[in-house]
Amino acid sequence: MRTIIFATTIRYLTPLFLILSLYILLRGHNHPGGGFIGGLIGSIAFVFHVLAHGSDRTVNVYFRLKLYSKGKPEEDTPPEHMWRLLSVNTWNRLPSYPQPEWRYHIVRLRPAYVMATGLFLAASSGLLGLLRGMPFMTSWWMEAEIPIIGALGTPLLFDAGVYLLVLGMVLKMVFTMSKE
Amino acid sequence: MPSDLLLVLPLLLPLYGALLCLAFWQREQWQTILAGVFQVAWLVAGVLLLRRVLHLEVVSTQIGNWPAPFGITLAADVLSALILVTAGVIGLAVYLFSLQGLDITRRRFGYYPLLLLLQMGVSGVCLTGDLFNLYVWFELLLICCFALLSLGGTKGQLEGTFKYVTINFLASGLLLTGIGTMYSLYGSLNLAELALLVRQPEHPNLPLLSMVSVFFLTGFGIKAAIFPLFFWLPASYHTPPVAISAFIAGLLTKVGIYTLIRLFTLLFISDLGFMLPLMVVLAALTMLIGVVGAAAQTDFKKILSFHIISQIGYMLMGLAIYTPLALAGSVFFIVHNILVKTNLFLISGIVAQRYRTSSLKRLGGVYLQQPMLSVLFILSALSLAGTPPSSGFWGKLMLARAGLEAGQYVLVGVSLFVSIITLFSMTKIWNEVFWKPRPVSIRKGSLVTPVNPLRLWQLYLPVTMLLGVILLIGVYARPLVRLSERAAERLLHIEPYTNTVLPKKAAN
Repeated sequence: MRTIIFATTIRYLTPLFLILSLYILLRGHNHPGGGFIGGLIGSIAFVFHVLAHGSDRTVNVYFRLKLYSKGKPEEDTPPEHMWRLLSVNTWNRLPSYPQPEWRYHIVRLRPAYVMATGLFLAASSGLLGLLRGMPFMTSWWMEAEIPIIGALGTPLLFDAGVYLLVLGMVLKMVFTMSKE
Repeated sequence: MPSDLLLVLPLLLPLYGALLCLAFWQREQWQTILAGVFQVAWLVAGVLLLRRVLHLEVVSTQIGNWPAPFGITLAADVLSALILVTAGVIGLAVYLFSLQGLDITRRRFGYYPLLLLLQMGVSGVCLTGDLFNLYVWFELLLICCFALLSLGGTKGQLEGTFKYVTINFLASGLLLTGIGTMYSLYGSLNLAELALLVRQPEHPNLPLLSMVSVFFLTGFGIKAAIFPLFFWLPASYHTPPVAISAFIAGLLTKVGIYTLIRLFTLLFISDLGFMLPLMVVLAALTMLIGVVGAAAQTDFKKILSFHIISQIGYMLMGLAIYTPLALAGSVFFIVHNILVKTNLFLISGIVAQRYRTSSLKRLGGVYLQQPMLSVLFILSALSLAGTPPSSGFWGKLMLARAGLEAGQYVLVGVSLFVSIITLFSMTKIWNEVFWKPRPVSIRKGSLVTPVNPLRLWQLYLPVTMLLGVILLIGVYARPLVRLSERAAERLLHIEPYTNTVLPKKAAN
């Protein structure tokens, strides 16, 4: 399955899938779509990436972040030092071979954490209703409409939770199965 | 506290507990602390709900503020709150036991989140006011049980889990068919609305209702392990570690019986002339087969597993007699049995941990080594068998009296006979495990886990706590008997339930 055509195509399709999944999530309130199907489409992006490059590569690219740090040199002022740290960790990333003067920390986003965050969002979206003295999960919408996103409200929060939950679940399954 | 909050707390607390445990994945110390906090909170939520229900009879909330037949309804009456509190008590006990009684690998890899999610499922089953949601909550129970029973993945566990899941899938399929048929007959899934619909004598689909009830009796019969659908239970419950099986064995079949009682008093009342005699036969056979099966076993946990089945027969007996006293007896018996059965399982776990076996042939002489444990066991065992003045006695007394009043002499005779055999079975465990000297050939060769007094007391603590509750119920039975009677009254007179859930219909 690891053909160069497939692998190259996936590089361009992955962001497309992700954007499409967000679009599906957002239009879900009044049209076909929503968190569940959005999460499934979003996970397709990563499933194809796993098929093309293997799960280790996918984890490295999307779910593992190397953060660099080092002690403040004498000549730098604190704001300068902060700025340098920020730049090295975001747009001005260091090359991947070992950097002697930088310490690095690996932050890993496990699918279980994605699932937990999703469940937490979904369950907490209902609490807002309780806080206002209404039954659990009573919906609440903001008055203002925001372009592209549309109206903001607790059902959208719930859907976003479902999105993350489904995404995390599929990722967990795909990573586990591709290791067999 | 508003009722809206009180009704969702038993669902939300375990959910948030499980989520926080997930956030601390593989750090079992944090998980342990969090799980403990949420266990206590769950119990407190149950107690608060029970207090509210005692005051108001029935409370309900409409999730999302959609009015009743259209939205999702949560409703609680005395029976559901009582089961919740009991589940909270044994949840706490099993949690305390797991601190020392479960290996660290299982605790690290998801025991606490799974246990909490299982408890959320139990709350859901008890509180739901909607037939389809009932099914969903039972699925949650099934999934959590599946994961918990197979947690650790030893060969015996996987075999037992496979049997458990296969037959329970079948039960779920039957339930789903029943729910679908119910919806096509009456066009509603809300329990309160259905309860009003099935009480309309002129409804054209009324004669078809008994078909649906058979689906539910079979489906929940499998989940509650009623004769002849119990074979999965002794095949799977003895395989996992006791900290897992004690909660599942203590609670889950009783949740099935609870649902049967709820549905056959709320919905399937049109064809009782056919169903009740059938249930009488089923109850008698369940009691008999369970206890006879137990007599043939030579394993501590397997004997207890078979006794679960025979005790389920008693609970079904109350439903089959169908008088207020009988239903109250059933409710009392469910509460008593959840506590006692969990306690006996925990004791078997302590013995098995020390001597690394639960086979009666290889055990012996525990009385000399651990007199305290022996006292705890004999009191629990007598309570299970129902000798006065233990809690089991009052349950059986209520059931027997109700049976005699209703003229079910054979059923009462069977139940008393089964009590004697239960006593015999408990005596057998007492003789083999505690009283007889340890077999000489084994005494030399086998391993005994060294005793650490502090650890041992941590294991005794939950058992002692549960036994305290059991003895309290036995000696001072009146409050629980009154509660059971109130629960039974609510079951037979449903107007407060339907009026609370459907206030508009009540006004019309």
